Amino acid sequence: MTDAIRGRDRAPRKTPLISIRYIADSAFLIVVIYALMAVIYVAVQPSALSAYSIESLLNNSLPLMLAAAGATFVILQGGFDLSVAGTISLVNVTIAINPHDGPGGALWVLGISLAIGITVGAINGFIVAYLRIQSIAATLATMIIGQGAALIILKAPGGSVSDFMVYGLTGSVVDRLPFALVIALCVMAFWTVYSRTDAGRNLMAVGQDRKAAALSGINVRRTEFLAFVWAGAFYALAAYMLAAQTSTGNPAAGTPFLLLTFAAVALGGTAFGGGRGGVTASLFGAATLMLMQKVLFSLGVSSFYTGVIQGLIMIAAVLFASAVNHAARPKGHG
Amino acid sequence: MMSSDTGTPERSARTEDTRTSQRISPTVVTVATIYGLVLVMILASRLISPSFGGLSQLETILYLSSFLVFCAFGQGLVILVRGLDLSVASVITVGGVLSASLMDGSNTGLLHVIPTILLACALIGIVNGIGVTVFNMPPFIMTMASGIIVYSLCLGFTGGTPRGFPAPAMNDFMQARVFGIPSPIWLLVVFAALGTLVQSFSSFGRKLTAVGNNPEAAYVAGLPARRLIIAVYGISAACAGFTGILLASYANGATLRMGDDYLLPSIAAVVVGGSSILGGRGTFLGTVGGAMLLTTLSTILSALGIGQGWKTIMEGGVILLALILLRNQVFDGLRALVMRKD
Repeated sequence: MTDAIRGRDRAPRKTPLISIRYIADSAFLIVVIYALMAVIYVAVQPSALSAYSIESLLNNSLPLMLAAAGATFVILQGGFDLSVAGTISLVNVTIAINPHDGPGGALWVLGISLAIGITVGAINGFIVAYLRIQSIAATLATMIIGQGAALIILKAPGGSVSDFMVYGLTGSVVDRLPFALVIALCVMAFWTVYSRTDAGRNLMAVGQDRKAAALSGINVRRTEFLAFVWAGAFYALAAYMLAAQTSTGNPAAGTPFLLLTFAAVALGGTAFGGGRGGVTASLFGAATLMLMQKVLFSLGVSSFYTGVIQGLIMIAAVLFASAVNHAARPKGHG
Repeated sequence: MMSSDTGTPERSARTEDTRTSQRISPTVVTVATIYGLVLVMILASRLISPSFGGLSQLETILYLSSFLVFCAFGQGLVILVRGLDLSVASVITVGGVLSASLMDGSNTGLLHVIPTILLACALIGIVNGIGVTVFNMPPFIMTMASGIIVYSLCLGFTGGTPRGFPAPAMNDFMQARVFGIPSPIWLLVVFAALGTLVQSFSSFGRKLTAVGNNPEAAYVAGLPARRLIIAVYGISAACAGFTGILLASYANGATLRMGDDYLLPSIAAVVVGGSSILGGRGTFLGTVGGAMLLTTLSTILSALGIGQGWKTIMEGGVILLALILLRNQVFDGLRALVMRKD
């Protein structure tokens, strides 16, 4: 798979600069990687094309995809948000102690989840944007506090999630159209619109150059604040779908998300430091990470060594993205 | 590592601050405040239990915080040069797993084995450093990826359950007392002294501070910034490996998750200790104080018998509080007060 990426390293150089620019700025690259991975998976395991396999793969991937989508907002404006782990744990246990059944109940629980996520995001945003505390340190603290709060709400894994969420949200909307896919498409559509609004452009501008953004009249603090709020909302969604998928609450539910979220964003080609990348790319980054586990498993790679390949692919993807970005820059810039 | 713009105002404020007096530097006040807080907390803990607040509690806290201090030294140096080392947890595991398997319960060859393990760990760090400098990888991703790779290799190497035991001599060392004080505490004192010497009073440390403050200026001034940064990541990984060896010796065995409890605390100790997460500013004595503060808080909260949840919340709260205090120049106000009395 590393070869597949390296192999593509040469191909785009022949094409004119404009399309390299396009590759650098869009989710193109990670979509190609995902597609390649999917082809390998189907070749090795033909049963992967069954409706059930596709549905379960998407259901497994969706929480990480949503978490990565949220983290992207913060990374695009040039920060880090470690609170993803704490927020997901907190929302997850809150859902597990509020098993309201039926569509109305699910909607009510969704409302509570979003309220918590947005509140945590707003607290993060306030601390970072207005108290001027470095995001990585501030969100380290709020992540720990969130995990503590989750432990207070639910001491050990347990609780219950309403049947409607467990069966309704992990099934299909209509035949062969998994609910998870619809949500992922909605997020992509949302980002396509959002990135073209003033708020979306401000987000990128702040990430590229804070001073220039401030000089051109962008409210930098409000943009930073908003990024954290969006992030919180998406973490809440991730926790909501996680609860639906696992049908239980776990005060440590968010912990595995901490590193994987950043891995997914990196794999999607969003630049750490801000200003380049996008939510769609992160969605595919997360989906690729999850698909990769399946591929490695079906290829017979010992699950012990999955991490080696994950790590190598992350490094290769980031190196490749920065090489493409380098090639896309006007000549004469370092 | 990150856009430096947010840190610039604060940094310039600090350089201007020398106008009144050179006698008390902000760093001294920050470090003194942290140790003051630790002392107050230890004394106040007497209210919780009569067995607390004494020398034996101080001994326990020093003993427990020593592990955190060892790995936080490397983390502090990496943060000083605008980096971050997320591979700490995995490298601690490497140190532990290697000492269990290489020493294999015997004292023979101990003098070869320990340097071998430290060197192996340092190599991981050097790879991190090369990735960060030569290949321009963001430290966050480079060290996270190498951490995942190394952990996965450990998992494969041990087949899930680490075998073997550290040398009995190492276990004896962890339990020995010299002049009535546990030997790891002596080690901590020596380490703190050496670390302070390296970070604040050696030319190496000053070069690192220069690189952290302004990499371009340091480069123009002729500092080998790349080599310095690579060395720093190597040191960080060696420190993590050292922590792993001691942890395995202490617990008389290694587990694959033994490093997990040290990754975020190592960053927290550095930050609570008054270092800037943006690099270019920080002292090792502050980090030692930060580690002690976190350990003290954790032992006191455990003794209070409050639930794990509240305990975790208060730990996070202390980190947040320390950040806000450090940022909003409460310490500067305090210093102004002290100076007025002069």
